[in-house]
Amino acid sequence: MKRSSLWPLFLISAAAVGYEIALTRYFAVAKWSEYGYWVISIVMVGFALSGVTVALARGWAVRHGPALLTWLPVTLILTAAAGFRATTQNPFNPLQLQNAVTYLPQLGNIALYYAVLLPFFFLTGLYISLTFILNEGRINRVYGFDLTGAGVGAALVLGLMSLLHPFQLVPALLILIGLAALIGPRRVMVGLAALVALIASEAVLLGDGQAAYNEFKAIYAPLHVPDARQVAEVRSPRGLYALLDDFTERLDTDVSNNAALLGVVGPPQTFGLYRDGNRIAALPKPGGTAAPYAPAALDAVPYILNPGARVLLAGASGGFRVMQVLELGAGAVDALEPDPVMLAALRHGLGPSPGLAADPRVTLVSDSPLALRGSYDIVDISGDFLEAAEANAAAFTSDAMTGYVRALNPGGLVSIPVSIREFPVYAVRVLATVRDALRRAGVSDPAAHVVVYRSAWNVRILISPAPWTADGIAVIRHFADERSFDVSYYPGIDVAAARADIYNDLPPVDFTTGEVSTSQTAQDAVADEAGAVLRGEPTSSQDAFNLRPITLDRPAYYSILRLNQLPLILQRLEILPQAEVGQLVNLAVLVQALVLAALVLAVPLCVPRLFVTGARTTLVRPMLYFAALGLGFLFIEIFLIEKASLYLNDRTSAFALVLTGMLIFSGLGALMADRVRRVGVALSAGIVITWCVLVLLGLEPALLATLNLPWVVRAALVLAVMAPVSVALGLPFPLGLARVGTGAHSGSMLAWAWAVNGAFSVVATPLANLVAVQSGFDRVLVVAVFLYAIPFLAYPSIRKITSWQPSLT
Amino acid sequence: MAAISNVTRRAVLAGTATLPFLPAHAAAAWTRDAYVEAMRKSGRPTDITENQFAAIQARKPAAMKRIESYLTARLGSADPAVMRAFEEVPREYYHYLYTEHRSESGVAYETDPKPWALGYGSALSDYLGQAYMTQVCKPKATDVTLEIGTGSGFQSSLLSRIVKRSYSIEIIEPLGRAVGKVFAPLGYENVESRVGDGYFGWPEVKDGFDIIIVTCAAQYVPPDLLKQLKPGGRMLLPIGQPFKRGQLLYVYTKDDDGKVHSRKDVGVFFIPMTGAMMNRPHSGSASEIPAGMAASPGSPAPAPTEAKPE
Repeated sequence: MKRSSLWPLFLISAAAVGYEIALTRYFAVAKWSEYGYWVISIVMVGFALSGVTVALARGWAVRHGPALLTWLPVTLILTAAAGFRATTQNPFNPLQLQNAVTYLPQLGNIALYYAVLLPFFFLTGLYISLTFILNEGRINRVYGFDLTGAGVGAALVLGLMSLLHPFQLVPALLILIGLAALIGPRRVMVGLAALVALIASEAVLLGDGQAAYNEFKAIYAPLHVPDARQVAEVRSPRGLYALLDDFTERLDTDVSNNAALLGVVGPPQTFGLYRDGNRIAALPKPGGTAAPYAPAALDAVPYILNPGARVLLAGASGGFRVMQVLELGAGAVDALEPDPVMLAALRHGLGPSPGLAADPRVTLVSDSPLALRGSYDIVDISGDFLEAAEANAAAFTSDAMTGYVRALNPGGLVSIPVSIREFPVYAVRVLATVRDALRRAGVSDPAAHVVVYRSAWNVRILISPAPWTADGIAVIRHFADERSFDVSYYPGIDVAAARADIYNDLPPVDFTTGEVSTSQTAQDAVADEAGAVLRGEPTSSQDAFNLRPITLDRPAYYSILRLNQLPLILQRLEILPQAEVGQLVNLAVLVQALVLAALVLAVPLCVPRLFVTGARTTLVRPMLYFAALGLGFLFIEIFLIEKASLYLNDRTSAFALVLTGMLIFSGLGALMADRVRRVGVALSAGIVITWCVLVLLGLEPALLATLNLPWVVRAALVLAVMAPVSVALGLPFPLGLARVGTGAHSGSMLAWAWAVNGAFSVVATPLANLVAVQSGFDRVLVVAVFLYAIPFLAYPSIRKITSWQPSLT
Repeated sequence: MAAISNVTRRAVLAGTATLPFLPAHAAAAWTRDAYVEAMRKSGRPTDITENQFAAIQARKPAAMKRIESYLTARLGSADPAVMRAFEEVPREYYHYLYTEHRSESGVAYETDPKPWALGYGSALSDYLGQAYMTQVCKPKATDVTLEIGTGSGFQSSLLSRIVKRSYSIEIIEPLGRAVGKVFAPLGYENVESRVGDGYFGWPEVKDGFDIIIVTCAAQYVPPDLLKQLKPGGRMLLPIGQPFKRGQLLYVYTKDDDGKVHSRKDVGVFFIPMTGAMMNRPHSGSASEIPAGMAASPGSPAPAPTEAKPE
């Protein structure tokens, strides 16, 4: 039989991964990213289902496989287009999921997403699994083409994001599938059909009723006020940036409610910069460089205490924070702006918004807050820094704060913002982190080194390496009193007495009982716990909330829920901050993935005649082998993405680099599998386990020591670090597939093994996320070590047998 | 047409002759024909059968009981003025999906109170939450109110049944234009709405406002709104996404020195209040709003039976 080309497989794998990434972009822009993760994780089960289908209908698949492979590209074009079109028309409103009486129809809408997207992923999986069983003699090449195709597809779609609107990515990717049809067998007839399908699909996707922003996204209202207009747009893998000119846009900073009494004008009108429909910054209008409101802002205190300070400012807030600190008398400012689009806007302007005026006192850099280059009088994190980019959460870790304290000149201050608009407990957790940081910096009594003051909605935590003096505290109390702010904690505070003068009543809420504690006088829920947390004593929130310090190993800022109290969390679902919902979505995905994985595992039990030959070996060993590979690969990938995000100071480029690099390197590994057939699995396990151990022991210090290297060098180092492990990860899957049996049942076993691997790949992402949030990223890698020991132990050659001859006995 | 004219005339009579401190009230019998006509006049033509209309009205008494029980449980008692306003304002008139030009009146007075989408990113809040917020405002017959974020117009309509004059600003142009037409057909002549920037409030009202409700997404309250808040006035800021029942409510007041105080009213929907506050005497201070929300001294008496829609 003439061997068919594997290039159509390469193209279809590229299109499938591109389609998956394009869907994540669609959800991030049109809806919210966590729900895209929910939907896409599950539809990826289409891959596993296709393996199950082929396993069950092996004879039929072998007979009709060549014809199916010929025509599947045409159906893939149609199902991809129809699935995306139906996805964009789905009226899913994620906000209604958080309401006990409105959630049910939304679950129906999620089911609709599954229904419309599953066909494409099922048929793609069918294409790949058919290719495997029709090419049993060259499985390593099939897997190699599959992985390298996926890697190239990821790189391609990430590149396209700089050119195309996120909603146009799917129409572009359809062309890849069309090409697969053109270079496959019976190219004239199939090519013609594919062309017709392509033209029809493009017409539908690019015609009327295209995807749009959800009406509840932040950008929707400003876009619909009178005379609103978009004045600039930047397309980037980081997101779709839109600059709006409309009357709602103003600098969004926490200014005193007594601004009029203080004789201060309010913040100025601005342009609004949105990324994926979420507002990330205000950008100045021409001439809008003054900041007379600065003394009335919550974050002004450090500058009153430290006139003429040399400042490290994490987050330029569109340039406005730079203007503010200069207005407040700062002597020199190093402003960190990790987002390259924002940095370019500050340096060169964006659309009609001018850049930040050149000033010898100001240095704009894209550095990580973990890579401090000098010493400072003030380290100040801007209030919008946390939300400006995912990687910025590292600035709120104990590791980073220890660095800030160590970088201070004598008399210096660190100023950390916390939003308490919804849950004051975030401030309590950051205070626990501050305590940890101070102790790591050698401070034995952290409670003497911290002052906490706040408005109704935001807290500022001031950290001093030296104990606070009465004079310093008096200045802060006076500042707060003039502006209707409250001082929640200072060394020596009498919390009960302070209640008499609270401007912003903040009653404590008992999350466990669901009760608000009230009293005759105003209250301060932050004050109630601040002292105890800083002294390391138990507090009232710790039973209901996770108050462990935020660290580089557990960097998730929005992870205050104790998931072992799930029934209670679901009872309180309606008051949870939106940012915490992601964890619950992750759990929902995990549960669904586990159920589906169990179903895939059960297939041989339900239809044993397709799999069993009567030999003495069991299905347990291949099941463990392929499940462990599916889990282990993604555990390492998720670990690498996290560490690369930290190192490159950007989640998007880290994701792109790691995903593409791992797929291509693993594909190359698969292509080399033949050369190391006899020792391949042992070699792979040895490399992976050794790599994991070395990384656990030495990666973090190495990263932190080289954070100041140029981005290109750091990116090259990321590739160099991931290359050996990725090549090794590519070996065991094709070697295992080659051994899943010979003879009558090999096709079914092969397809089932593919399904098991796919199903556990779907389990892996939410499971790794859960382990990372609960136990830390190092633990993710430790689990990966154990996972890669399993294939080594389960591989047939270790047992001195030639291949797996499955049996249920 | 005749029904609407009658509404207006009777409202004026009620307002001027019998209850001098009250605004004009819609007083005519609220029938299916009156509803259809009011919808037509508001630019939202719709049709509904007598049976459908009757089914909606049949659910209303139970909804009113729910409101009364809820306010009593949460705030100590249900303000008669708030209850009367709910009785007067036909909620089904505000159930409308503006993006699709479709009335959704059939779901009004639902058993499980919930928010309903209006289109353009706006939602009609659940009626228990609106009842709570209206009572927390402590509206009086002499008050002038300002709402930033007209939405469906229901909240301003409710307030207009209690206070002297109610102003409302909507920033979303297509929604604001459409909702601006809903007040006149019901005879709510003391409601004034417009489309525009709520940041600067309504400076033409020189004496300022007793009550301001503002849906605020920013990190600060617009200074002009605080300027327009009268001494002793109450500014309410509901925070949170529109489909959450457990919205947070911030209440702002100014003291005698002009300094602003705020209070976070946590879990307006379902978290029970405990502690001394529930038992303390009602001081009248707006910064202590959740305490014993009995009808405030200035609240008008319940409207006569004839002023209620049927």
